[in-house]
Amino acid sequence: MSETEPVTNGTERPAETTAGETDERTREAWREYEFAGETKLAVEDLDVYYGDDHALKRVSMDIPEESVTALVGPSGCGKSTFLRCLNRMNDRIGTARIDGSVELDGQEVYQDGVDLVELRKQVGMVFQAPNPFPKSIRDNITYGPRQHGDIDTGLLARLTGRDDSEAADRLVERALRQAALWDEVEDRLDDNAMGLSGGQQQRLCLARCLAVDPEVILMDEPASALDPIATAKIEDLVEELAEEYTVVVVTHNMQQAARISDQTAVFLTGGELVEYDDTGKIFEDPESQRVEDYVSGKFG
Amino acid sequence: MATTNERDPDGWQARLASRFARMGAVVQDTENDAVAAGVVGAVSLAGAFAGFLVTSPYTSVCIVGFLLSVGYGWVRHQELAAKGVTMAMTVSTVVILSLITVFIFYEAWPILQDRSGQVLGVTVPGLELFTTTAWTPAEGTPRYSMLPMIQGTVLVTIIATAVAGPLGVAAALFISEIAPAPVREVVKPGVEILAGIPSIVYGFIGFTVLSPWASDQFDLVGQGTYLFVGIVVGLMALPTVVSVAEDAINSVPESMKSGSLALGTTDWQAMTTITLPTAFSGVSAAVLLGVGRAIGETMAATVMLRNTPRVAEPLYNVFYGFETLTSLIAANYGSSSGLQKDALFVAGCILFVSVLTLSIGSQLIEERMDHDLGRAE
Amino acid sequence: MAGAAESTVVREDTSTYEAVAGLTVGLAAILFFLGLAATVDIVSVTGTLAGLGTLTALGLLLVVMGLAVVAFGLASYRGIFPTDPRASAGLVAATLFSGLWFLVGALVGSETLGLGFGGGLAVGLLVGAVGFAATALPREDIGSTLPAGALAVLFGLVFLLGVVGPEWSWSPASFPDSQSVTFFARTIAPFAVILSALVVGWAAAKAYGGFGARGRHLGAYLLVYLNAIAIIAVLVALVAFVVVKGFAPVTESVTVGLGVGPATTIALFGFSYEVVWPVNWPFLMNGASLFTDVTGVFPAIVGTAWLVVGAVLLAVPLGVGAAIFLTEYAEQGRFTRVVEVATNALWSTPSIVFGLFGAAFLVPRFTPQPQKSLLAGMITLGFMLLPLVVITSREAMIAVPDEYRDASAALGVSKWQTIRSVVVPAAMPGVVTGVILGVGRIAGETAPLLLTMGGGSFVGAGQRAKVLDSFQLSLSPPFVTNPELTQATTALPYQLYQVVLTGTGETAGVTDITAFGWGTALVLLAVVLLFYAVGIATRQYFRSKLTYE
Ligand SMILES: Nc1ncnc2c1ncn2[C@@H]1O[C@H](COP(=O)(O)OP(=O)(O)OP(=O)(O)O)[C@@H](O)[C@H]1O
Ligand SMILES: [Mg+2]
Repeated sequence: MSETEPVTNGTERPAETTAGETDERTREAWREYEFAGETKLAVEDLDVYYGDDHALKRVSMDIPEESVTALVGPSGCGKSTFLRCLNRMNDRIGTARIDGSVELDGQEVYQDGVDLVELRKQVGMVFQAPNPFPKSIRDNITYGPRQHGDIDTGLLARLTGRDDSEAADRLVERALRQAALWDEVEDRLDDNAMGLSGGQQQRLCLARCLAVDPEVILMDEPASALDPIATAKIEDLVEELAEEYTVVVVTHNMQQAARISDQTAVFLTGGELVEYDDTGKIFEDPESQRVEDYVSGKFG
Repeated sequence: MATTNERDPDGWQARLASRFARMGAVVQDTENDAVAAGVVGAVSLAGAFAGFLVTSPYTSVCIVGFLLSVGYGWVRHQELAAKGVTMAMTVSTVVILSLITVFIFYEAWPILQDRSGQVLGVTVPGLELFTTTAWTPAEGTPRYSMLPMIQGTVLVTIIATAVAGPLGVAAALFISEIAPAPVREVVKPGVEILAGIPSIVYGFIGFTVLSPWASDQFDLVGQGTYLFVGIVVGLMALPTVVSVAEDAINSVPESMKSGSLALGTTDWQAMTTITLPTAFSGVSAAVLLGVGRAIGETMAATVMLRNTPRVAEPLYNVFYGFETLTSLIAANYGSSSGLQKDALFVAGCILFVSVLTLSIGSQLIEERMDHDLGRAE
Repeated sequence: MAGAAESTVVREDTSTYEAVAGLTVGLAAILFFLGLAATVDIVSVTGTLAGLGTLTALGLLLVVMGLAVVAFGLASYRGIFPTDPRASAGLVAATLFSGLWFLVGALVGSETLGLGFGGGLAVGLLVGAVGFAATALPREDIGSTLPAGALAVLFGLVFLLGVVGPEWSWSPASFPDSQSVTFFARTIAPFAVILSALVVGWAAAKAYGGFGARGRHLGAYLLVYLNAIAIIAVLVALVAFVVVKGFAPVTESVTVGLGVGPATTIALFGFSYEVVWPVNWPFLMNGASLFTDVTGVFPAIVGTAWLVVGAVLLAVPLGVGAAIFLTEYAEQGRFTRVVEVATNALWSTPSIVFGLFGAAFLVPRFTPQPQKSLLAGMITLGFMLLPLVVITSREAMIAVPDEYRDASAALGVSKWQTIRSVVVPAAMPGVVTGVILGVGRIAGETAPLLLTMGGGSFVGAGQRAKVLDSFQLSLSPPFVTNPELTQATTALPYQLYQVVLTGTGETAGVTDITAFGWGTALVLLAVVLLFYAVGIATRQYFRSKLTYE
């Protein structure tokens, strides 16, 4: 754990004694955080443990639909963990134990009978590091719909005249355009996706996710490995996507969070959600001293 | 370890010269007694090898000479001695490995020459061994056809692969992707232990239980079927397939699998559309190695087969098992001499070459997988 | 898209449907085990089952299950239950089903209809094509249930209607008399039952999952789990079988108590002291003899022990040394690559080929007359072990991080010192584990011994290899000789082979040769599995130390 501790300068560290009070005060404050739209995801008292390691502590927050929610916080504070709870990717980690509730459109995600396939179709995810499949660009995009049986271009489909090649082509173009990648790969759709640059791969992964037509898109530091130009492209995209989708994005970059998000949640070391409010409020006038220190770059 | 080949192919003379020059420099730089000890050591090692080849009693003298020079070098110049000794060990290993190849072919040569045949006016050594079907070493004009044994080996290998291939790959998938951790902790060593059961134990069980049972079930004339030998051999090749395929499947990065699952696929879809295709070369290498094991499996076949070389008819009659290449050698070596013994070496050569091909093939395929994944990471 | 038709992540309640489908999977499991029981005659095909003739009962079960599976498909197709079928059951299922149906068609065509080989082929192809179309063309719920259910119903009817009765048999005419085969109902019926159980179980599992991705997932998992269970069951059965069969002969007349065992004389520095073992274990401590009650495998154990010692002494220093040179000194390039490929190839070279090599190269060289010998066996097995030692040592050394070497080099330590104090210790766990597992393998190796070492079907205790006592010094070269090393002897796997080969042990005082064989097999298995258990445990130990440190 020690290596995930933020590097702090002793003198600037907020007094330990006030931290607890602040927490209680702000916890009430953001709990009543009100937003205009409908609630898409409602998280209530979420605890995550990795073995004995308590990675997320009683996190509650409501995420409004068709907006961008930024998650910020120092490394190791549990942002990725939180994100993975929303589409239950944490189920894959054997040591992880999850308590609490996450509701998608009012339906509990952590209950018996939840169809993980359906859940993940609705809550898509773009990972921290680009992870295209070692297939062609086209196959990467059509992968999801093909697995879900929405598109069939297989041998059998062709033989029986159920071939969806045209629909597939349209889908590929639509998804790639949405991810601002179409112009760059238009004439090499059949090349292996591994040959793309890091930034292109990241946008390909976004396109692959969009092709499944999710309602929520989770993005884990989508721009961490990218140069400023590619980053700007992704940022524009995120803002555009918010018109149709609910976007939750993790970022280490405060300016980025301030630029693209409608509301921001600040996690601090130890897995606590310290403050959650309108982005403007978080960056200009946060309730908590620790959040102010963090977003102004004093620590973390 | 990165390999640094891709050198200029034409410059070998220059390279050789520079290598000699370097060697000369090394000799110049080294103290005289060290050079002397090195030379004595090398000469006595070579002498020991030569002495062994001609069965000379002086072999042991040379060995003692080698040990003495190594001992001297170790005390006075440990650094150099260590390098020299490990190099000598490498050379011995390589020599041993090449000797195996040389000797098998050397011993097989007389019969290949004796039974050569003409194809389009060209003399092909050993042709007759593959154009007749009779193995009759005891008759007036002895015949040594390899075909009955090749049929046996092919049938056994096909059946064994049909058992070990699909079941092995499924078990590898199970161990690396499906099994919960506690189950994996049991199944994985279990499969390894399966590899440990000696083939003669399989053979003994097959001989005492399976063969009589099969004869009774199918009302066969006598005992011994390729079918059950194939199944037993497949069981024996299974662990090889499982462990190599599991390595390959394990090397598929987790991020790819998560990428698929996050799109809303089931675990099985992720396995069949991402994991297996990505690990395809590794998995096929595993199956190839399993095939190699099946071809070379000896004792189970020797004990369970009839040991009377004959062609099973019709050619796919797996209910009668006569002889495989391996069991031919094991069952006949003790009582054979002359050309018949050489014929056994021909069988050995066939085995050696086919398994060698499979092994090298699977290594090349595996290398390709490393390469593919190297791009992916 | 948000705001579009409200979709749900919770599956609809389909408990009735799932319960019935689950029940069918369970029934298929029962059927599967009934089939297994029938193959080993626990359930007699000619007897009765639940008051009916076994075949009738099995046929009834098959028909019921087949119909049930078809009913699931139809129910899903008519939308009676909410399922999520794909447009087609897919190419893989279609290919497998068409293969099954091809076989059925070909057999019926050539034998039942008597159309001969060509006719059978034609009927088979036709039926196979229909099977393919029936799987691939309709929607998944029909495509994966109809052909499966039909197969079970067909087999079931064949048994129910007595087309294949308990006394049915069939010998293909195309097989020559000397190589004739007869298929009896008692063999074919269990096989057909197992096959149908697998197919029907798979289809029911798919139905249970509501077809689609989830159905395929469940269907496949059913088969994969079954496969894993079967492998472990075979393993356990094999070992248990040998233990059960071999326990009695191995433990015959074992006595424990002070002074009951054989005496061993220990001679040291002129003193000689006699130790009497507190246990007498005849099977392990006796040789073959007409004068003892129990004939044992002591000489074979001694032989195996010497073989292992000799092979390890040869292969480990050579292999580890070569690995050090290849990893630490040699330029990584074409040479090391070729050596690597060659060693890998040799590791998969059949053991009998090593035996041939030993016979040609080693056997003629230790004595004036070519003679199989312990030494030749040791060296041959050593050569077999060598590639494994090189491979595992190299892997272990490559895995040692370069930082260790750099750190050591930065302290001004010489290369060899670095290797000795850093690389070799760090690689030790890997090397040790590899060697132990390799030894387990060669200890059970038989084929090379037939050609290089084995002699004597049953060896008396007095003729065991007394290597330590037999070194002789002389003044003429080669100065040291040891007749025990250059003589043929026996070993555990070789002994077991001899049991099979001779088929009788009357001359050696063995009354029940099969029991003696099982005893030998048990001892051999115990020795080899001991090596494996120790090897695997060592690896686990080192691994846990590495991960939790
Ligand atoms: N698979 C896992 N097993 C055990 N512990 C884990 C696992 N994943 C995360 N953790 C622990 O949970 C805590 C939160 O990790 P998480 O990855 O969520 O942090 P993060 O905020 O995303 O950090 P970063 O900004 O560096 O990505 C960390 O202490 C980490 O060590
Ligand atoms: Mg993270």
